[in-house]
Amino acid sequence: MVETDRVITIGNVLRADIRGFVVASRIPEPDVPTFGTFVRAAIQQQRADLIGLVYNITLQDDPFLKNLAVTVIEDDPRYTEIIRDQQENRAIPVEIAVAAIGYRDEDGYHYGLPPQPPMILHRITVCSKDEVRHITAAPDFMRALFDNRDVPADELIPTALHRAARLRPEALRAEFFLEAGRYLAHYLGRDPVRLERILRRLA
Amino acid sequence: MLHIERLKADIDALSRLAVERQTLREDDVARALRWLAEAPDPTTLRGRLALVTSGDHDWPGALPADDAPLDARLTVDGDPPHGTVVIGVDGSQVYPDPHAAVLYYLIQIGGLAFGYDGSRPRPYSCEALHFKDDELHDAQGYLISTERVGMERLVQEMAYLAELTAIEQRLTPAATLLALTDGPLLWPHIERSRADSQAVEAYLDALTEIRQAGGLPVGYVARPGGRTLAELLWASRLAPEEIPGRLAENPLRQLTDAALMAHFLAPGERSAWFTRPSATNHRHAGRGHEVWFCYVNVGVVRAPVIARVEVPGWGALNADAITTLHAVLQHQSHVLNGYPYVLARAHEEALVTTADKAVLDSEIQRQLFAQGILARPSEKAQQKAYLGRR
Repeated sequence: MVETDRVITIGNVLRADIRGFVVASRIPEPDVPTFGTFVRAAIQQQRADLIGLVYNITLQDDPFLKNLAVTVIEDDPRYTEIIRDQQENRAIPVEIAVAAIGYRDEDGYHYGLPPQPPMILHRITVCSKDEVRHITAAPDFMRALFDNRDVPADELIPTALHRAARLRPEALRAEFFLEAGRYLAHYLGRDPVRLERILRRLA
Repeated sequence: MLHIERLKADIDALSRLAVERQTLREDDVARALRWLAEAPDPTTLRGRLALVTSGDHDWPGALPADDAPLDARLTVDGDPPHGTVVIGVDGSQVYPDPHAAVLYYLIQIGGLAFGYDGSRPRPYSCEALHFKDDELHDAQGYLISTERVGMERLVQEMAYLAELTAIEQRLTPAATLLALTDGPLLWPHIERSRADSQAVEAYLDALTEIRQAGGLPVGYVARPGGRTLAELLWASRLAPEEIPGRLAENPLRQLTDAALMAHFLAPGERSAWFTRPSATNHRHAGRGHEVWFCYVNVGVVRAPVIARVEVPGWGALNADAITTLHAVLQHQSHVLNGYPYVLARAHEEALVTTADKAVLDSEIQRQLFAQGILARPSEKAQQKAYLGRR
């Protein structure tokens, strides 16, 4: 899981709209962000940063790997180094889909859709722990996900909340979840089935 | 727009010519295989050709480098010895474009150190952006040529290979270190200027550094061209008094060395060592790095894959290192169906993709804009970009 303060540049924006974007990436397997990772991308000529959540990861076709798959045998010691190179070093081509949840400018963090999507080929970076703590300081960061039909929000919201909770002292986690639960109840009061589904995943 | 229908007659002629060449080549192969088996011993051949292999002669053939018969076929048993380290290096470049928004060229070198000890291979890469006036223009003020950028890349590749060899030597002091580069080891460019000569010297310096670091430099030429061996075989048929008079009458016109070796070498086999008596190789020899080469078949039955392997003579004489190199090439090429894994990965590490270049251009333009400079591609480049999207 990518949750360190080490800056990891994931890749470049391939296509984007105001609700999110897709990143084309070639990074080693250990660095591929997981579902629910907080990421940021520069917008408005680097005057602000869009913050988003990874909601889908697609492995692309890799002709190099296809070639290897014919000859390499997993348990054969003659291929140990090659398998390690492929798994631990090699950049695998992936497409990473990100849903926007807010943005940060000189005035601080703002929730909801950003004023502009990131431009094509801009680089995307995993948020630091501090950035995640800041953007999740208020439960409003979930707002943009409720109406985004492309996103598996009912899975993504609990994952993001768990991830944000782990970055807080243990004594504050219950209060963090409680506040999130109240917010969800307020927003999804008219859809009790969906609310229950999300809350169960938080338990 | 290409009017394919207008090229139909040419395409037909091209395929007919390919068939004719194929037939001729088969005849040539049969004859060359016989000549190979009947060739005089290496000492006799070297003596017979002494007249054209010294001084100013420019005979394009090869000489036997040691005392192995010309038709020697050598095999290797088993896997590469435990602990052997093979380092692959390759480079890529972005050429300077006078129509681009900003004038620069870029060289990126990639490498992979692969230890036969179960450890994770170690990828490496470095890059250099060249943008200063004296880097971009020659002494006459003309924009640096693509050939010159190629020379620069070659020097940087070999220097990087030397650097990685030194790093790997420190990590595994007792290991046999094989330093592979994609392409010939023999300097492939013609010296036309002082800058070219400086490039050759820097290249030879790097070969010396690899040797000093305990590495064996190896040039790996996939699908090699050339017919130096075919010239030697023809010379082997001539009487001493016919040399040099009839050297230019070689009837093996359609035969390349690779085509001959594809019929001669079984999978896993390599040929004897040869060397080229060219001016460039004399230059290498002057610095202690005369280049020897052999052919190796890294393919399988009914699908031969011939490569030319070039090493310095001092390395070729190290029988243990060459046996290890042979085993390593077989293993590395088996994994990727006929091409060494480390070189494929080094290429991947070195590659500058179109997307990478677009990001670099965008970043440069953004920085310039921040400094109040608006850099735009030429009108011609813009028009070509529009049309290229169709």
